[in-house]
Amino acid sequence: QRECLSIHIGQAGIQIGDACWELYCLEHGIQPNGVVLDSQQDQLENAKMEHTNASFDTFFCETRAGKHVPRALFVDLEPTVIDGIRTGQHRSLFHPEQLLSGKEDAANNYARGRYSVGSKVIDLVLERTRKLAEQCGGLQGFLIFRSFGGGTGSGFTSLLMERLTGEYSRKTKLEFSVYPAPRISTAVVEPYNCVLTTHSTTEHTDCTFIVDNEAIYDICQRKLGVERPSYASINRLMVQAVSSITASLRFEGPLNVDLIEFQTNLVPYPRIHFPTTAFAPIVSADKAYREQFSVSDITTACFESSNQLVKCDPRLGKYMACCLLYRGDVVPKEVNAAIAATKSRHSVQFVDWCPTGFKVGINNQPPTVMPDGDLAKVHRAVCMLSNTTAIVEAWARLDHKFDLMYAKRAFLHWYLREGMEEAEFLEAREDLAALERDYEEVGQSF
Amino acid sequence: MSDTLTPDVIGRRVEVNGEHATVRFAGVVPPVAGPWLGVEWDNPERGKHDGSHEGTVYFKCRHPTGGSFIRPNKVNFGTDFLTAIKNRYVLEDGPEEDRKEQIVTLGNKPVETVGFDSLMKQQSQLSKLQEVSLRNCAVSCAGEKGGVAEACPNIRRVDLSKNLLSSWDEVIHIADQLRHLEVLNLSENKLKFPSGSALTGTFSALKVLVLNQTGITWAEVLRCAAWCPGLEELYLESNNIVISERPTDVLQTVKLLDLSSNQLIDENQLYLIAHLPRLEQLILSDVGISSIHFPDAGIGCKTSMFPSLQYLVVNDNQISQWSFFNELDKLPSLRALSCLRNPLTKEDKAANMTRQLIIASIGQLKTLNKCEILPKERRTAELDYRKAFGNEWKQAGGHQDPDKNRLSEEFLRAHPRYQFLCLKYGVPEDWELKTQQPFMLKNQLLTLKIKYPDQLDQKVLEKQLPDTSNQLMGMSPLWSICSRILSSDLLR
Repeated sequence: QRECLSIHIGQAGIQIGDACWELYCLEHGIQPNGVVLDSQQDQLENAKMEHTNASFDTFFCETRAGKHVPRALFVDLEPTVIDGIRTGQHRSLFHPEQLLSGKEDAANNYARGRYSVGSKVIDLVLERTRKLAEQCGGLQGFLIFRSFGGGTGSGFTSLLMERLTGEYSRKTKLEFSVYPAPRISTAVVEPYNCVLTTHSTTEHTDCTFIVDNEAIYDICQRKLGVERPSYASINRLMVQAVSSITASLRFEGPLNVDLIEFQTNLVPYPRIHFPTTAFAPIVSADKAYREQFSVSDITTACFESSNQLVKCDPRLGKYMACCLLYRGDVVPKEVNAAIAATKSRHSVQFVDWCPTGFKVGINNQPPTVMPDGDLAKVHRAVCMLSNTTAIVEAWARLDHKFDLMYAKRAFLHWYLREGMEEAEFLEAREDLAALERDYEEVGQSF
Repeated sequence: MSDTLTPDVIGRRVEVNGEHATVRFAGVVPPVAGPWLGVEWDNPERGKHDGSHEGTVYFKCRHPTGGSFIRPNKVNFGTDFLTAIKNRYVLEDGPEEDRKEQIVTLGNKPVETVGFDSLMKQQSQLSKLQEVSLRNCAVSCAGEKGGVAEACPNIRRVDLSKNLLSSWDEVIHIADQLRHLEVLNLSENKLKFPSGSALTGTFSALKVLVLNQTGITWAEVLRCAAWCPGLEELYLESNNIVISERPTDVLQTVKLLDLSSNQLIDENQLYLIAHLPRLEQLILSDVGISSIHFPDAGIGCKTSMFPSLQYLVVNDNQISQWSFFNELDKLPSLRALSCLRNPLTKEDKAANMTRQLIIASIGQLKTLNKCEILPKERRTAELDYRKAFGNEWKQAGGHQDPDKNRLSEEFLRAHPRYQFLCLKYGVPEDWELKTQQPFMLKNQLLTLKIKYPDQLDQKVLEKQLPDTSNQLMGMSPLWSICSRILSSDLLR
């Protein structure tokens, strides 16, 4: 009864969405055509358990024909990437009206995504969203998947978020955003796009989970033995974290974490809503059974920066809140012991003013992996969401790059040409500077 | 502990403060009174001696500091399977446990837990348990007969690694009661073999057997395999295995075999497992292998060995010869290869070149080091290979004219796919094989000597001009430059 609508925007959002729904289908035993597998002896081992325990109608809508259709919307301003879904393995999973594409893309330009090209598509997107929302008995909120650096991901998302707040003011909106990698850049104007979109989206989002490609790239190379990780490998790893976060929404269990509960526990101030994500264990499929991961092992691993999905050193900051989401074969006794052990092993510094340090939940649905993927199937996994002041490093990096270009007004004309003004840039930059100051302030002791 | 000094305590696996050991002696050790147990530790440096005390040898250890004498009451003999499950998964009845939230503190901050009690109730419904992890839970025996079958018969996957099981008899007792058992992990246990054979049907549903770090020998592996007719995956990491015989009626259904970190394996032993009909994935990481040969196949032919092998992992080995990859090309079904961290692949700073050479050497490879080889990448790699060795090919007798083409044995052995590449892309032309000077401007300049035939006292001018002869402009720029020089001189 507490449905969630996922909206996937831009190339990053769509490709992550593809991997994400593939994983959800595997976990729920839904075949590529939307039909749930019958409980037969030789079916996917998961299907048997899930069918009785799943409350997957938070994410899937069941049609009268017995098909399960994802409650999702895929939006892009140009057709190539969405065509990949339309002709891909899961084409029969989605209704054609859920896959929306324009004709002219945003060309890595926030202004095009937000103003010129985006405004042509926004009404259609909102109409489809309304349709999907009507199918829900009690819509809980939205999950938005997008990248900060792309044109559609930055510009169109800002526009959409503004309108969603207007229409669905009481609904939660969570974002899964791909932050531009520090050293691997796909577009020169990424810093502009990021700063502009962060400024305009911050007040409309409740919580933004950031990941960056470089961190996941390194994980794939070092831990999974993938010589040259492709976006497919990176996305597959990222959706494991997404799956852990949404697991309690999709499986009935003792811990049913509302989207609101996430907000309440992770976000101390409305603007300080950027938790980092870490995931453990990350084991290569070649090394299955070679290493054993007890609850304490995976808990410790989460605090290591090599398991984080975003490049940031938490030791340089303080924790404001921390959520540990365990999956699989985990017993409460071991969790308590693991957390107590964490205290002695790490300098996990909390801010003075935060009363509750950790929030822990367990879902005993074991983690699923894609067959033919790089990850080994493990008995238990944990996803840690932590709101740490160390993330200010990421914003500082971004702001610095923005300043370098803006000082020379480099590449600015592309934005001005589409109707933007320099004032907007200054405003956005000021906002991010204020964000950095906010973080510093919360980290200070009394 | 009344049974501590009975003879059957010898050979039992025990645990003392987290360290595991095997009991080797039980009795009195004069002059100190009281019963003692002599144990051999798994960790050879944990002990104080090698089983002898003041001159008398009580038991033997493999290592001079591998043994100790311990009082029986300090030793944990373990518990039975069912009790271990209950300990881990079941909520014990007790008032203090029955709280909505358990408050654990982390420093001075309480940890909030939600829903733990209902989770615990759920897990305590043992009959529903399908996957059970009892790693390091001190399990030493099956317990009362039929107890497991009654309480939790639906278990499909069991992790019994690092426990205190001392023989396969106990394992069989447990497995007999779990009719649906599919995955069994017995790593880090030291199991003795039973005298009799297992009841047929004990491991009938077993698909995955994990025996890492158990010290098992190949002969023992084959005996186990005989009990598991449907075995699909077998993990034998770090056992110092030497493959001593060819499996004839066993292991025929195995799809995945993990032999990593068995340093005593060499390429000759691999012949003994070369005829497993269903073997699709072979993991040979860190075994110290440096070469491989398939003698039954000539150059460019396919071998009859490893007929179904699709994925081979040879990371962390000693491969230093390119001939290794030429041999791998002979495998009929090979589609994926992982060969990271070998001397050959380490020395090349531009890993790209190594990758290209491997792709070109193994024709049917689709995935290398977990990255898919797209058709474009394959084409580039093969074309580069053909060009890179083109001069060598010529020197070895290669010729554009097929009648005059007589390649030396040596070349064919070193580059078995070269002929095929020539057929696919054409024979390399001479202009392709010309060694290119790096494109620097100075290499593109012609040196012109301008002589003044009429005026002998004028020195010969030497000027460097760009070579435009093979461009569209032809020689005209040259003439205009010359005329400028000459006319300026003439003016002077």
